[in-house]
Amino acid sequence: MATEFQDRVDLKTDEMIINMGPQHPATHGVLRLLLNLDGETVKHVEPVLGHLHRAQEWQGQNRTWFQYQALIDRVDYLSGMFTSWAMARACESIDGMVVPPRAEYLRVIVGEMNRITSHLLWLGTYLIDLGAMFGFPFYPFREREKLFDLFEEIAGQRMMYNYIRIGGVLRDPKPQWFDKLSKFLDEFPDRIDEYEAIVTENPIFLNRTKGIGILKQSVAKDYAVTGPCARCSGIPIDLRKDKPYSIYPEIEFESIGYNKDGDTWDRYMARILEMRESIKIIRQCLAKIPEGDIIAKKQAAGMRVKAGEGFAAVESPRGILGCYVISTGTDKPYRFRWRNPSFCNLSVLPELLVGAPIADIMAIFGSIDVILPDVDR
Amino acid sequence: MIPNGAEVFKLSRLSIAWLSIIFGIVWAVCWSIGVGLPMLLEGQFGERVTLINEILKAVTPIVAILVFIPINAMFMVLIERRALAIFTVRKGPNRVGPDGNLQTMADAVKLLLKEDITPTGADAFMFTLAPILFFAPSIFGSLPLLAAVTNNHDLFKILNLPTGIFYILASASLPVVALVMAGWSSNNKYSLVGGLRSAAQAISYEIPLVFSLITVCLMAGTLDVVKIAQQQAGGILNWNILGGGALAGLNQFFAAIISGQGADKALAAFYPYGGLSYVAALVLVPCVFMSFCLYLTSACAEINRIPFDLPEAESELVSGYNTEYSGIKFAIFFLAEFTNLFVVASITTVMFLGGGDNPIPPYLLDKFTPFPQMIAALRETPLVKDLHLINPETLFATFWVIAKVYSLVFFAILIRGTLPRFRIDQLMNFGWKRLIPLSLIIFVLVVFARGFVISHG
Repeated sequence: MATEFQDRVDLKTDEMIINMGPQHPATHGVLRLLLNLDGETVKHVEPVLGHLHRAQEWQGQNRTWFQYQALIDRVDYLSGMFTSWAMARACESIDGMVVPPRAEYLRVIVGEMNRITSHLLWLGTYLIDLGAMFGFPFYPFREREKLFDLFEEIAGQRMMYNYIRIGGVLRDPKPQWFDKLSKFLDEFPDRIDEYEAIVTENPIFLNRTKGIGILKQSVAKDYAVTGPCARCSGIPIDLRKDKPYSIYPEIEFESIGYNKDGDTWDRYMARILEMRESIKIIRQCLAKIPEGDIIAKKQAAGMRVKAGEGFAAVESPRGILGCYVISTGTDKPYRFRWRNPSFCNLSVLPELLVGAPIADIMAIFGSIDVILPDVDR
Repeated sequence: MIPNGAEVFKLSRLSIAWLSIIFGIVWAVCWSIGVGLPMLLEGQFGERVTLINEILKAVTPIVAILVFIPINAMFMVLIERRALAIFTVRKGPNRVGPDGNLQTMADAVKLLLKEDITPTGADAFMFTLAPILFFAPSIFGSLPLLAAVTNNHDLFKILNLPTGIFYILASASLPVVALVMAGWSSNNKYSLVGGLRSAAQAISYEIPLVFSLITVCLMAGTLDVVKIAQQQAGGILNWNILGGGALAGLNQFFAAIISGQGADKALAAFYPYGGLSYVAALVLVPCVFMSFCLYLTSACAEINRIPFDLPEAESELVSGYNTEYSGIKFAIFFLAEFTNLFVVASITTVMFLGGGDNPIPPYLLDKFTPFPQMIAALRETPLVKDLHLINPETLFATFWVIAKVYSLVFFAILIRGTLPRFRIDQLMNFGWKRLIPLSLIIFVLVVFARGFVISHG
C-alpha cells in the first residue's frame, strides 16, 4: 500500500498514532491499544493493561475462604465454573480431600456446559467484530440462554455460579434437570450446523479470516500461549489429556486443533469443534454418573483450610487456568496467585498485529478470545 | 431457521399501513398545493392568478419530496429494525407507542433535542457544512426520478430532464465530498480514516455503477429516465432486467398468438437477422441481468451499506466519519443515508425493473381480468374528472413502484442481516479487479449484440 508507493515516489509521510480504546466499541471491555499507523497498516502496537484491575488476588487475603469462593467467578465472568474449579482443586490438594465421584461428574458436566456458553458468546461477538453487526450474532445467544436457564436451576445464578465448592458441588440437580440437559444436547448439534451454514464457508468470512493473524509455533511457545490458540499452532497442549484431572481419564474425547496453520479461521474452527466435543463429553458423563454424595464436607461460613500450599490448574475455554494458594490454617487465605490464560494469550497480540491493516486488528484480537477481567484481575 | 410466521405477518401488515399513511399524506399535500389550491384560486379570481398557479405547480414536487423524505426515513428505520429483529430472533422495538410504532419518532425527537457539539479544534464551518452537503444531493438529485416513477404525471412533468440519468449520477457523486469534509473537519483520527476510506471507495465503485447504467442507456437509446421507464411498459418481458428489449419481440409474439394474428411477422420484425438475432438476444439477456447485479453491488458500496460499510465500520473506526457528530447534524447524516438507500432502490426500479409497469403483460390483463373495465369506470367518476384527485395511470404506476422499491429495500436489509464486512484492500481488489473489467466486458458485448436485435432504442 503506502510503502510500495513510497518506493517509487520520494514522498514524505508520517506515522499516525491512534489510541484504540479503552472506550471503543470492539475492544471487549477496556483494553487500550496504542497503535502507530502508516496509512492503514499497523507499524507498532502497545497494549496498555490495567483499566479493569480489581485487585482480585489482594481481595483474597481480606476475605474468608467462604466469601472469596463466591467472588472468584468474577475473574473470568464467561467461564466462572473454571475459576471456581481451579480454586476448589487447589484447596482440596492442601486438605487432601477426596471429592465424591458424583460431584466430580457434576463438575465435568457443568464445566463443559460452561465451555459451550463461553464459546457461543465468543462466536457471536467475533462475528460482530467482523462487521456482521445485526445479523448472525444473536443466534448463539439463543442457545446460551437455554444453558443459562439450566445453570440457574442448579446454582441459582445465570453467570456468577459459585456452584463448585471446596470438596464438591453446591447442589444435587433434580432428575428432570438431566432430562432437560439431554434434550438440549439432542438439538444443539443441529444449531451448530446452522451457524456453520451461515459462517464457515461464507466467502467474505473466509477472506477476512484465512491466512491472517498466523501464530507461529515458536512464538506461541515463547509467550506461553495455551488453549485453542496454542493447539491451532501445532502445540498439543491440553490439560485434560496431558495431566488428566477429575474424571477426564475415563472419558473418550479428542483434543481439538493440532497441526493447523494457526490462522484466525483455524481458531474459529477449533472452537466450533470443541463445542461438538463438549457435547460428547457431557453425554458420556450423563450415561455414567453414579449416585452418592455431592460434597465431601458440608461448608460453613467459618470454614478453614489446613495450613500449607497448593497449586491446581484446569483447562478453561481460553487455556490453562492455574491457581496457587498458601494457607496458614486461619479462616482467611494467606496468599492467592492466579495464572490467567487471557493474560498470556493477550501478550502475543503485538507479534500478530504488526503489518496488519486496521480492519484486521479486531479480527485477530477477537480470535484469541480474551476476557479483559481475566487479564487484569 | 424457521421464520416466525406471526411476526412476518405483523411486519407486512405494518408496512402496508405505514405505506398507505405515508403516500396518502404526500399525495394529499401534492394535490392541495398543485391541484386544489390553483382550482380554488382560479374559481375566485379567474385569469389573474395564472402566474401564481404556475409557481404553485412548480413548487409542488419539491414540497412533496421534503414531506416525503423524513416520514419515509422514519418508516424505513423502523422497518429495518423490525426486520432485523425477526432475522436475529429478537423482539425489536416494542415500547414506544402501539407495538413500538412511534419508536423512530421518539428517536428523532431525541436527536433534535440533543446538544449540538462542535469538538475542540474542529473546523466549525466545514463541520456544519458537511451534513448539509451530504443531504442536499439526495433531495435535488432524485427529482427526475419523481417524474419517472409517477408515469410523467402532470404535476411532476416539470422535472422531466432530457439528460435525467446523467444529472442523477452527477448529483449522486457529490456526497463523497461531504464525507471527506466531515472526516477532515472533525479533528478526530478515526473520522479522518473513515473519510478517506469513503473517498477511495466511492471513486472506485462509481465506475462499475456508471457502466452498468450506461449499458441500460445504450439499450434504451436515451438518457431520459421518463422515456426509459415508459419504454419498458408491457409486462415483465419488456423490462430492462431481461435484456433491455431483446425479448420485446417475444412479447409481441405472445400477444399476437393470444389475439390470433400473424405471429411470424412479429418475430421477424424484432429479430431481422434470423439466427444471428436470436444469438444476440441470448447474449443480451444475461449481460443486462449481470449489469443489474453489478449495479446493486456497487450501489451498496456507494451508499455504505453492509458488506461495504467500511467508512463507518463500527468495530474498527468507532463510527467513522460521523464519530464526532451529535444532535441534529447526526440526524441529517442518518436521514441522508436512508434516503440514499431509497433513491438507489428507485433508480434500480426505473432503470431495470420497468418503473411503474405491471409485471403481467397488458394482453393477458385485457383478456382475462376485469381491470381494464374497472379503470375505465374509475375514469368516469367525479373524483377523477372534476377534482383530479386520482389519476388511474399514476395510481397503478405508483403502486407498482412502491412494491418494487420496498422489495429492493427489504433485500438490502436482508443482506445487512447476513453478511460480514469486507476489508478495505479486499474491497479495492474486488472493485478494480472484478467489477470494473466485468462491467467493461458487458458493455462491449452489449454494444455488439445490440445491432442485431430491435431493442427499445
